[in-house]
Amino acid sequence: MALTKVYNAATAFKNLGGVLNVYKPAGMKVKHVRNAILNNICKGLNKMEQREPGKLREGRFLGTGTAADPVLHNIAFQTDQSDHVLSAGPRYLPRDLSCSTVSSLGDHTSGVLLFGINRGTGQSSSIRKSRPVRVYHITGRLGSATENHLPDSRVTMRANHRHVSADRISGLAASIQASHQRKMFELCGVDLQTQEAYELACKGLLRPADESQPVVYGIRLVHFERPHFTLELHSINETQEYLVALVHDLALELRTAAHCSQLRCVRHAHFDVRDSLLRNSWHLPGIIKNLRHQRDILRAHNQQHRVELKAIH
Amino acid sequence: MLKTRGIALGISRSYTAKAKRSVLAQDKSKIKEYSPKTTDNHEYRVYVWGFQETGALGLQTSVKKAKERYTEMVHHPTRLQFSNNNDIRDVAAGYGFTAYAVKRDDGETLFGSGLNTDSQLGFQVKGNPNDPANLDVIIYPTAIKLPRVQGETDEDMQVKSMSAGRAHLVVLTQNGTIFTLGNNSYGQCGRSIIEEERYSKSALIHRISQEDICGKEDQVVHVECGQDHSMFLTKNGRVYTCGWGADGQTGQGNYHTAGQITLIGGDIEKEKIVRLSCSSDCVLALNEAGDAFGWGNSEYGQLDDSEHAETQINTPRALKLTKSIGKIKDVAAGGSFCMALNDQGLVYTWGFGILGFGPFVEQTSKPQHLLPPLFGRNDFSNATTVVSIGCGVFHMGAVNSDGDLFMWGKNRFGHLGLGHKKDQFFPFKAAINGKVTKVAYGVDHTIALCKSYF
Repeated sequence: MALTKVYNAATAFKNLGGVLNVYKPAGMKVKHVRNAILNNICKGLNKMEQREPGKLREGRFLGTGTAADPVLHNIAFQTDQSDHVLSAGPRYLPRDLSCSTVSSLGDHTSGVLLFGINRGTGQSSSIRKSRPVRVYHITGRLGSATENHLPDSRVTMRANHRHVSADRISGLAASIQASHQRKMFELCGVDLQTQEAYELACKGLLRPADESQPVVYGIRLVHFERPHFTLELHSINETQEYLVALVHDLALELRTAAHCSQLRCVRHAHFDVRDSLLRNSWHLPGIIKNLRHQRDILRAHNQQHRVELKAIH
Repeated sequence: MLKTRGIALGISRSYTAKAKRSVLAQDKSKIKEYSPKTTDNHEYRVYVWGFQETGALGLQTSVKKAKERYTEMVHHPTRLQFSNNNDIRDVAAGYGFTAYAVKRDDGETLFGSGLNTDSQLGFQVKGNPNDPANLDVIIYPTAIKLPRVQGETDEDMQVKSMSAGRAHLVVLTQNGTIFTLGNNSYGQCGRSIIEEERYSKSALIHRISQEDICGKEDQVVHVECGQDHSMFLTKNGRVYTCGWGADGQTGQGNYHTAGQITLIGGDIEKEKIVRLSCSSDCVLALNEAGDAFGWGNSEYGQLDDSEHAETQINTPRALKLTKSIGKIKDVAAGGSFCMALNDQGLVYTWGFGILGFGPFVEQTSKPQHLLPPLFGRNDFSNATTVVSIGCGVFHMGAVNSDGDLFMWGKNRFGHLGLGHKKDQFFPFKAAINGKVTKVAYGVDHTIALCKSYF
């Protein structure tokens, strides 16, 4: 890795920019992840070879007649101690870095979280504007429903789930999917009675006109092991609340109760969970390596990305 | 003691948030057990929508309420209460009435609701049996008592196939008996026409044995009604017809009306027909090899698009139009258009009307297929294909392999089930909570037989 050759903090800082793909652990707020990342970057930068404190300007303290004083003369031509790390504080602070999230994840959601760092903030906002599909793996636990549909709140009811089978869940999932595809028309803002609507329908999937309503594009059962089931869900504009409520409603539809036990974002646009930065490598070398990797991914899909952007409007 | 415990607790769990404490302190024994009421354990449930004033939907239980405003139409597919209490096996939709084939302990096998002006739902009375008031409109499904001969069991009387026309109903039972009810002014009930016969308040149910139609060696497997004619399909693939023939829809080689059930020939004479479809006066038939045949009304070039084509075809004819489609799996004939489904799951439509190609395409005489994304195929479900098609006089529908129903066409009285009265120019999913297995397309209402998800 190239970074092993870089000892200079300024050089490292110059290369610090782009889109970062972080694996957000469940139970941690996005704000905290962001702070941890920024703090770790600064910590790493501050450990590297720092800039020397500046020299004092010539003749700053020297009045008339004192130039001959060897002590004063010495002080005047030495380094500026006020610029020293010990007096001025660390060279890099989190506020020196600009950082923006592409889109937020709920507290209980884990998985792909994209940050734009420094010059990557522009890229991150263009990703956000293209409104890419996010893929989730949602694990539900059958048998009990909770207040906020997550495992960390009071249980509101229990139910039997012997009658629930994998094909029943997938049958219902298929119907939810089809109903959402129908809903897309209502959200994309075209009149159903027009030729335009027909042409859009022939293309298949549509993007909603605004960000207000969540749209589910695909939903299917990927794993079922009583009492747990896992759904793979492709969606736009979703929130954590929406996803957990979906699990709850799905269970009611199956005549049982369930809450969402795990929620993981496995893909966001082209950024996969396999490339995302785990918590143990949230350090400067890891972050720079990840930035470089995401840059390659962006470059590989850039052409595709533009096409996608065109199709949206 | 209490104090020390409090302190110990305070020390050991000092970091516990209030929300977490409330979770930990919850009395687990008091959690409510949720045991949802399963309203029915029947295999099928029925959804209905469209025009309600005729009572064809069978949703209302109170006559007074049925007369109120805003009850004349049902815009969204609505679950039929009757299907919760009864094991419904089959449905048929006529012009303003519906018939249900039901399996019950008490031996009733056929129920109906809707218009009964021609006694197409049998002799239904209310009130005092000595001075009965006739019911022209039945708002909730009632039993239609099929007359039995001695020795006929409930099992024999189970419905094998049924179909309904403008004002008549034809029912085929398991033991091969055919019952015809309702209007016979064109001989559509398979009996000779009686001048000035009164059909209202008539208790007449005509009974035909399948031996009288097709002899001892063969048996009737399917019945199909057009507007005012009836067709009978046998196991060997023969087709017998009777009724109104003004457009040649009886296929008997003439334009007469016939009360006599007759075997028809033409191009289908040597073919084994497996499917018949008709909703008004244009008939499509399908043979075993997947070739389509047609007869009847061809005003819009449905059956023949050549320059000097006849507009009425009175003999079954092999269709040249559908040669390019490939092997056909299913056909459906509407009022002015036709549909076909080939073995690749592509839906072809042609004729006149809303064909599903957007608002600008009103007429095509060449079959064209609708794109698969319209029937729910996309990147997320790329194996989805259409498995069955059907149409009423003004609207069409298709069911895909996921059990979703897609509808398009004229939206008379909201019978597309899309929640409004506007016409739909391309296939659009109807919101039904179940996997659709069979759809009965009426002239202004639609009935779907579904399986539930749980």
